[in-house]
Amino acid sequence: MLHQVWVDVQHTLFGTDEAEGSRLAVGASAGMLLATIGAFLFAPAAALPALAGFVIITTIGWVTYQGAIARLLTLLATVLTVLTVFLITVFLFVSALPAFTEHGSGLLLLPAESGEPRWFFWLEAVLPTAETFWNPLSGAYSLIPAIWATVIVTFIAGAVAIPLGLFGALFIAEVADDRLREIIKPGVEVLAGIPSIVYGFIGFAVLNSFIQGSFLDDGASFLIAGIVVGIMALPTIVSVGEDALSSVPDAMGDGAVAMGATEWQKMKSISIPAAFSGISAAVILGLGRAIGETMAVAAIMAAGVGFADPLFDVFDASATLTSLIAVNYGSASESTLDVLFVAGVMLFVIVAGMSIVSQYIERQMKQKLKGQS
Amino acid sequence: MSEAYAHDTALVTEGSTSYDRLVDGAIALSIVAFATTLLALVELVPLGTAGATLGNYFLTLFVAVSGGVGLTAGASWANVVSVTSQRVRGVAGGLLVATGGLTAVAYLTTVTLATLLGFVLIGQALIIGGAGISSRLDIIDTEPDASAGLLAGGAFAVIGAAIGGALGGTVIGFDSIAWLVFPIVVGVGLAVLTIVPREDLGSTIPVGLVVGTLGVVVATAAIGVGWQWNPETLDGGFTGGVVIPLFAAFGALISAWAAAKCRAGFGAPGREYGAFLIINLNALLMVVTMVSIVLFVLTRGATYATRGLTTSALTLLVLLVPLLALATEFARSRVGGGEWNRTVRLVTQIAPLATLGAVAAVITTVLITGNPIEYGFNYQILQNRNLIPRETAITITPNPEVGAVILAVVASVMWIALFRNYGSLRNVGAAFPRAESVRQLVPVAVAGMAALIGGVLLVGPTPAGVPLGSVVGVGVVAAGTLAAVGLAALPVAGVATTNGSIADRTQASAPLFTLGVFGGLAVLTAALLLQPVTGHTPGIAGVDLVAVGALFATLACGLAAGVSAYARRTTTETLQDRLLGEETILGLTGAAGFIALLGLHVLATGSGFTVLGVSVTTEGTLSWPMILQPYIPLGAEPGGIMPAVVGTVWLVIGATLFAVPLGIGAAVFLTEYAEQGRFTAVVEIATNALWSTPSIVFGLFGAAFIIPRLGGNESLLAGMLVLGFMLLPLVLITSRESIKAVPDEYRDASAALGVSQWETIKSVVLPAAMPGVITGGILGIGRIAGETAPLILVLGSTLNATESVNVLQGFQFVAEPPFIINDQLLAASASLPTQVWAVIAAGVSGSPQMGWASAAILLSVVLTFYAIGITARTYFRRKLNYE
Repeated sequence: MLHQVWVDVQHTLFGTDEAEGSRLAVGASAGMLLATIGAFLFAPAAALPALAGFVIITTIGWVTYQGAIARLLTLLATVLTVLTVFLITVFLFVSALPAFTEHGSGLLLLPAESGEPRWFFWLEAVLPTAETFWNPLSGAYSLIPAIWATVIVTFIAGAVAIPLGLFGALFIAEVADDRLREIIKPGVEVLAGIPSIVYGFIGFAVLNSFIQGSFLDDGASFLIAGIVVGIMALPTIVSVGEDALSSVPDAMGDGAVAMGATEWQKMKSISIPAAFSGISAAVILGLGRAIGETMAVAAIMAAGVGFADPLFDVFDASATLTSLIAVNYGSASESTLDVLFVAGVMLFVIVAGMSIVSQYIERQMKQKLKGQS
Repeated sequence: MSEAYAHDTALVTEGSTSYDRLVDGAIALSIVAFATTLLALVELVPLGTAGATLGNYFLTLFVAVSGGVGLTAGASWANVVSVTSQRVRGVAGGLLVATGGLTAVAYLTTVTLATLLGFVLIGQALIIGGAGISSRLDIIDTEPDASAGLLAGGAFAVIGAAIGGALGGTVIGFDSIAWLVFPIVVGVGLAVLTIVPREDLGSTIPVGLVVGTLGVVVATAAIGVGWQWNPETLDGGFTGGVVIPLFAAFGALISAWAAAKCRAGFGAPGREYGAFLIINLNALLMVVTMVSIVLFVLTRGATYATRGLTTSALTLLVLLVPLLALATEFARSRVGGGEWNRTVRLVTQIAPLATLGAVAAVITTVLITGNPIEYGFNYQILQNRNLIPRETAITITPNPEVGAVILAVVASVMWIALFRNYGSLRNVGAAFPRAESVRQLVPVAVAGMAALIGGVLLVGPTPAGVPLGSVVGVGVVAAGTLAAVGLAALPVAGVATTNGSIADRTQASAPLFTLGVFGGLAVLTAALLLQPVTGHTPGIAGVDLVAVGALFATLACGLAAGVSAYARRTTTETLQDRLLGEETILGLTGAAGFIALLGLHVLATGSGFTVLGVSVTTEGTLSWPMILQPYIPLGAEPGGIMPAVVGTVWLVIGATLFAVPLGIGAAVFLTEYAEQGRFTAVVEIATNALWSTPSIVFGLFGAAFIIPRLGGNESLLAGMLVLGFMLLPLVLITSRESIKAVPDEYRDASAALGVSQWETIKSVVLPAAMPGVITGGILGIGRIAGETAPLILVLGSTLNATESVNVLQGFQFVAEPPFIINDQLLAASASLPTQVWAVIAAGVSGSPQMGWASAAILLSVVLTFYAIGITARTYFRRKLNYE
């Protein structure tokens, strides 16, 4: 057992290079690195000399056994990357733990105020009420209004982005000729590149007065935030959807055209059904982007936390999970911070989960199509 | 071949009938109405406009359409583009007629835009209904299916239900249960009307009814401009200003769809044309949205961002040099396909060069006549919460001055570009025995100077009484400068002293060209580095020796380039022609290098250099208050956002240094060394998931994990690390993809030659994958440059910062761990995105003009990264495909 582990470690570290000198170089370098990390953790004073030793040994190794040292360095990069991912995930959960243990499921299911659970919360939420759900001073913490706000904004964003995005993906993948595609595809990428704070500033400086004139509303609302977030999620849906449509083998469509089908019939009956799972992955990813959007929402809806009243009132406003963190973090007390971490963990879990699901769907589709071409 | 295809070809060859023209007109009218409603929605053309104002709008539209159609027709005539489709021609003609007609109507009557849109919808309904009925009566030749299909039926059921619901709400109110009858009856009715009759009726009559109803509602002002619906339960409501455009846009869309079906004669081709029209309109809408967002922000920020922009004509000329080089390169390449008209191709090819030449000439005029060019305009500043207009101007001054930084940067860029273009002159020309010994001396001299630098730095300028720094050092610097000038003059001297035709003489001096240029550059660089170490600047009569030397060397190299260019004109031999071309490039390379050294010299010594009235100065000749000044509190002028610009630059540099090596290294290991299995799959899924994680989550992590470990304050370093974490997944993903895309044949071929794995990776795999890695990296950097949410948490957001971070001078060495500290890295900083956020967060006390200008600069920075990334990708892809 131990021997097997040792063999594995050796294999990972040294690869198949059996030369005595290369083993020495890599071993010395790796050992020095471990010493550096150890020093950093337990005796910071010795960290820098140890690091210098690592650099010198590695440089010597680079000159003499470049291949082995290069392999070690890429391994190091991999370990660091994996560690980063791991660290972020674990740390978020650990930081959110105090709030979970203190408020229990109250944060997400049944809010508590000053330690007393509010039993009739859901009734209050449906019926018009003036109660506050988020007031750190009196100890009222509930993420439910923020979750509901996220749901509304994402729903509106989806209503904007999904149809437009799918038509856009169809256009790039099937309708446009090569020269047009060369222009439109980068254009979509540029649309994705416009920083969210710029959208937020447009919303802040221009849309508010427009809303007051045209929607008789006294300020920004879910509707406007949702539309802006929808425009921002559009490029994701277009480019992922386009990838899915393009990965349908040409042979499938050519067969249909050879039988006398029109281009539209080919699209409708061959390309879209074949790429359907890929398109749904695009939609999932786009919605994930919409959920995670922060700055545009924070800039447009600079409002407190509360339920829309009635629940479907798209002209109301409330902080979403993301903008709750962005706006409140600077002035938050210790226990509020913990609650914000719960919001962060929720976002992380939801969006990462959506990403993993869409990756799974895409992979399934690629495998299926591979079998058919 | 199916009949549909026969039909299609017939359309191309035959002239179109009057029915076709009418329906094309309907499609065009829909497009015009759609565009107008979008403009009306954002109140660029208010719905209440009437008479001459409305006429002017439609006239503008008419002129724009004529321009577009005319240019396309001209291009089609010149074989640049080929427009053979009768449908496209028909719609183009329809656009002309529609805009022209609407212009006439607007001028001649007093209807408002809202009413006009209503009548347009009614007209559309009549045309489409008429087309459907005439098709059913077999007046025109079509090929409809038996039914319009369940999909269309379902869609019209939904539309009908919505219309019925609104109708019922108006007639009996939403409160009574009887209201439900309306949506059900109208929805089912429309669905039946769509599905039951033959396709030509089923897809036109419901459209006619819906569009007609919408048209009547709008035209009779049942819903007019002042209409409001403000339900008590909701916070907001709807006004005519929103509802009318939405009605008209929707009506225009479905009538365009129906008219397209009519145009293609229903059946499968009809459905195709209808669907394609909608898809195309949607794509157009997306492009228009994107362009208008970008243009809107840029124009809003333009005045504030460019206020007080002043530059000397000479600076502009220097900045034009790389552009001229690019334009020249473009003029040398062939553009367009073989079917392009010869003249058109030629014009396209030389247009950029000619334009830049004209600009350069205008700037030179400023320099010669001494009259500045000024463009004056107004901008607004915020004072005591009031916006106050101020006058300012963009100016090109006739000063014959150029800043050393600009000169050095431009010359270095040119040097790199020229050096990359230079091939090799090895083994060309005659052997000069003495040149060989000089060649061996050059490295020795450079090494000697390097040793002297090291010596002075280690033991001080006067070890044991020997004036190593002052006397010896200055002497060496002077001697090195003279030697460099002598080396730079070698090529011309070689050409002058040998015999034969000028081309032969120049070719024979090739070894002197390489020796002169590279040797001279090396020696002068060494002398330049030695100079500040000695603490003295050798000069004659107040003029710095190194600067004069660099100038003479530049002239010598320029002369050499000129001679070889002239010699090239006289030769007819292909090989000689190419070799002389290489020598010209080499001469220019030398000139660019020496000018860069001149600029660096002025920068290093801090004293300007003037010759013949032309100066290289240390003070900037470019004044751009928005970017080059910090905020000036309580000043008459508001200053700029330099701290934010500097902060963003450092953030991008830090994040890149952190993420790129790590990402590429991990990608190499995961793709080349690790066994492809569960581990790599998990890492891939995890990195993908991390890539789509909301940025605010990274901010939380940074604020709670990194900041306490870096002293507990919001800091630049924390910002760099957090952005680095965000960039890491993208670099890893794109690098892996491009490394995977390198064909296995490459690796196999390399392995078959006995090359080790690492050597293969280094010299085969990585070079082949580099384009993808670089492009992905640039796009990722563009994305993180605009990232705001995490920076608010870890960098803090400050409005109107007055000091920028000075990272380079912040490094300090201390005697105790951790030995190197940099308080600048650990201090909070401004950055462009947080600057914009600070304006928003400041509410009424934030200057909106400053906000727009910051947003415009941020957008330009990000879009520049994207433009570079996308251009690089296109370039590399073309190179891979065609070479």
